[in-house]
Amino acid sequence: MDNAQVKELIRRYQEGITGPDEIAQLEYLLETGTIGLEAFHELGTIENQVHNLETGLPSQSLDDAFYTMLRDEIKKEQSLFERINVPRYQLLFRIAAAVLLVMSGIAIGHFLDRPQASDGQVHQLSEQVSELKEMMMLALLDKEEATERLKAVNLTQGMNEVSTKVTQALFRTLNNDENVNVRLAALEALTPYTGDERIREELVRSIGKQDSPLVQLALAELMAALQEKSSLDALQKILNNDRTPEAVKRKIEESILVMS
Amino acid sequence: MKSNPDLEALSDNTLMIQVRDGDLDKLSLLFERYKKPLYGFFYGMNKDAELSEDLVQNVFYRILRYRNVFRGDGDFRVWMFHIARNVRNDHFRKDKIKLKEPVERWNDKLQASEGPLDEAIRQDNMRMLSAALAILPEEKREVLLLSKFQNRNYRDIGEILGCSEGAVKVKVFRALQELKEVFFRLEKRM
Repeated sequence: MDNAQVKELIRRYQEGITGPDEIAQLEYLLETGTIGLEAFHELGTIENQVHNLETGLPSQSLDDAFYTMLRDEIKKEQSLFERINVPRYQLLFRIAAAVLLVMSGIAIGHFLDRPQASDGQVHQLSEQVSELKEMMMLALLDKEEATERLKAVNLTQGMNEVSTKVTQALFRTLNNDENVNVRLAALEALTPYTGDERIREELVRSIGKQDSPLVQLALAELMAALQEKSSLDALQKILNNDRTPEAVKRKIEESILVMS
Repeated sequence: MKSNPDLEALSDNTLMIQVRDGDLDKLSLLFERYKKPLYGFFYGMNKDAELSEDLVQNVFYRILRYRNVFRGDGDFRVWMFHIARNVRNDHFRKDKIKLKEPVERWNDKLQASEGPLDEAIRQDNMRMLSAALAILPEEKREVLLLSKFQNRNYRDIGEILGCSEGAVKVKVFRALQELKEVFFRLEKRM
């Protein structure tokens, strides 16, 4: 379509005599950038008027609400910062870490100095280290700060075996912790033990207890990786929930497809 | 709130990055910059002053809550209007409030809000345009209001709506055509 034809088309539009096909042609020209909206003077005038429309002003109560919210958030941040910096907690953690280090050193020392040491002795020492780690982990899981609880969950990494007490604590965290990052870390910490049927069953039960889309997604992906078909009902419930975000639904549908 | 010219000059993205990095006070500057356009956007969509204020507050609440995900490589306004659309959609989804009202009801509202007939023609026209805008289907009303509050930056609007710049122009074209038709329809009934 040459310039003259385009001009003629616009003229016909402005006279109000264009048919649907010609309107479609105009839209195509607009979409491809051949013409701009400014070519339609009358519409431009209306658009200008829309831009000049008064849309009112917010009242003082919006300011009040916003600044109250901001102050609360700043206070929360400051108090979190102060708590993290309380030397008492750091000191406790450092002492616990130091004890762990010393115990590990003793264990390694025993092992190196006494190559003839029996497997039983080495096993006994490594059990002691694991027990200490577990104790630390259980103690840290009760801390108020999310960072401490994250440390606790991460302590399970590197443990070859964990006691039922630890897995129960991890499930309590996965199902109840108020912080999504801690819950996700707990799920990650439980992943190496999914060979145990009881752990898998507990994970399936956990799906229904989650309200965070991130944790729901992570669980769905894990179920797909494990091919855990017993989780299908629980995942379907999340799909049927109106509150579940569309993006999460799509991912869960993919996971369900993988298992079907 | 006292204004500081140095701070006023900082770009939106710079301020938001500072907020993200812990300087939460800087959010107040962004609030001051955008409370009116956001309020205007919501009010244009809903015609409800109290609800519009609540939605503006929710936008800033989400900005504060999700500050850590702001990467700073895009335009803050685009990000903010993304949030604004989500906040509004969530509100109506949650409360299952009807988004559309029949034309007749808007005519009633228009009549109820009309002043004496001898008011200035321009004011009448603006009121009628406002009423016509309120009657438009939601997606058409939205694209026109985004054009207003994004200063016709159709590329940015495309980013907000998830479509091309050309597609936005077509949407604006269609919305303006319908607005014109509704406007004249209302005018005939006057």
